[in-house]
Amino acid sequence: MTTQPPDVVPESADLILNRDPLLAFELGNDDSLPASSIDQIDLKIRRQDDPFSKPYWQQFRLPCQGKETITALLRKLRNQPVTIDGETVDPVAFDHNCMEEVCGACAILINGKPRMACSALIEEFNGMITLEPLSKFPIIRDLIVDRSRMFAHLKRVKAWITLDGTWETQQPPLRMSPHDVAVNYLYSRCMYCGCCMAACPQYDENQEFVGPATLAQVRLLNHHPLGQYEKTERLHRIMTVGGLSDCGNAQNCVRVCPKEIPLTTAIGELGRAVTWQLFKDLFGD
Amino acid sequence: MQTSIHDSHFILRRLHSLFGLIPIGGFLVLHIWENGQSHLGAEYFNYYVAQPIMHTTYLLIIEIVVIALPLLFHAGYGLVIIGSGSAEPFRYRYRRNWLYWLQRVSGVAIVAFLALHIGLTRVAAWLDPAIYQDLFGYMQQSLTQPVTLVVYLLGLWLSVFHLSNGLATAAIAWGLTTNAAAQRRFGYVCLLIGVILGSLGTHALIGFLP
Repeated sequence: MTTQPPDVVPESADLILNRDPLLAFELGNDDSLPASSIDQIDLKIRRQDDPFSKPYWQQFRLPCQGKETITALLRKLRNQPVTIDGETVDPVAFDHNCMEEVCGACAILINGKPRMACSALIEEFNGMITLEPLSKFPIIRDLIVDRSRMFAHLKRVKAWITLDGTWETQQPPLRMSPHDVAVNYLYSRCMYCGCCMAACPQYDENQEFVGPATLAQVRLLNHHPLGQYEKTERLHRIMTVGGLSDCGNAQNCVRVCPKEIPLTTAIGELGRAVTWQLFKDLFGD
Repeated sequence: MQTSIHDSHFILRRLHSLFGLIPIGGFLVLHIWENGQSHLGAEYFNYYVAQPIMHTTYLLIIEIVVIALPLLFHAGYGLVIIGSGSAEPFRYRYRRNWLYWLQRVSGVAIVAFLALHIGLTRVAAWLDPAIYQDLFGYMQQSLTQPVTLVVYLLGLWLSVFHLSNGLATAAIAWGLTTNAAAQRRFGYVCLLIGVILGSLGTHALIGFLP
């Protein structure tokens, strides 16, 4: 049985006086809610005050429902940031935005593995839940990391389509088969959360590897009706330091991807494309 | 825009992959197959296996260009590649991740094994040409020591694993297998190749024992 938040639009006075029915739901104070099998949970969170200070651990105990998400738990914790020892501390800083696993903001390590906090339900875990910032990225504060590297990767592989040009822009786009549309759709779901990069043994702050998600975008755009015109340039951009050949085939990426994008298939297909490109570069088109 | 053939990084990675299969992988298969003739006895082995190799034209050049240099490059650049990654086999307990880790562990172990193996055979024979007159007897004497036999068995199975897993990942890197199903299928083919090669090699080692 799922529990829905109360369908009540809060009055502005309620918000000011902190009587938001949604908040009451999150705090577990709403008497109308049915009892759940899980009523409290222990959280162990790795905290860091700023990019340069040392990390430390804190434990919290919170009332909760099994169907609540980790993000809901963190929002609840923000209201009552009291550790298990009764000490009131600074609220835990964390990223979240869409709350429906499409924006990619809330990727963190949950029990050591990269997950989206907004789609991880408490009932999936047994006992204490450990939260850490997403690995492989510089920490800004607590669970917030700096993922601007990923934008640099996208620019590096030319992950866009050139619309302005000498050709007639009023032309209808090239037709795609329903099959190609379906396959490309799989790759278009990438939200650039960084889970695949956190799990990749070849991806690191100190390495140039652009990571699985970036390579999958090359695969997607090279099969796009307009993107395919720049196929060769994109392939050349991944045939260099930090490109496709830095992949070590550990295939953790495809295991942790929250959108189940066939990242290893993209890497295999790019391997073939790059091999053909190598022959073309060596022996001519 | 620089093309791929001007990019040393890409070319080096592909050469590393290629050399692992040809000539090193090819040599390993030949080496195991030749030594399988150990079962035919000392006289046969010395006359039909050891002697023809010793009397091959340009033997030293072949050994250096076809075996030693590609092997040195593959091992040296392999160590560079190992340095660029950080395996987490216990955090991510997935099969391919373990293979990724084992490929690197076995690579380092094989470098140590080969230093010992080449020292005990090729270099030893250089210093003492009499070894070549009865190579079978020399190998038998070596392998009857349990420590040497265990080290050889380990070296054999690690090398065979490194080759067959390398074949599976090279198939992905070069684009022979693209989707996950094909990669899994070819993975089983490589497993079969590895088991066959390892069994042949074990059979060959047993053949040297009295």
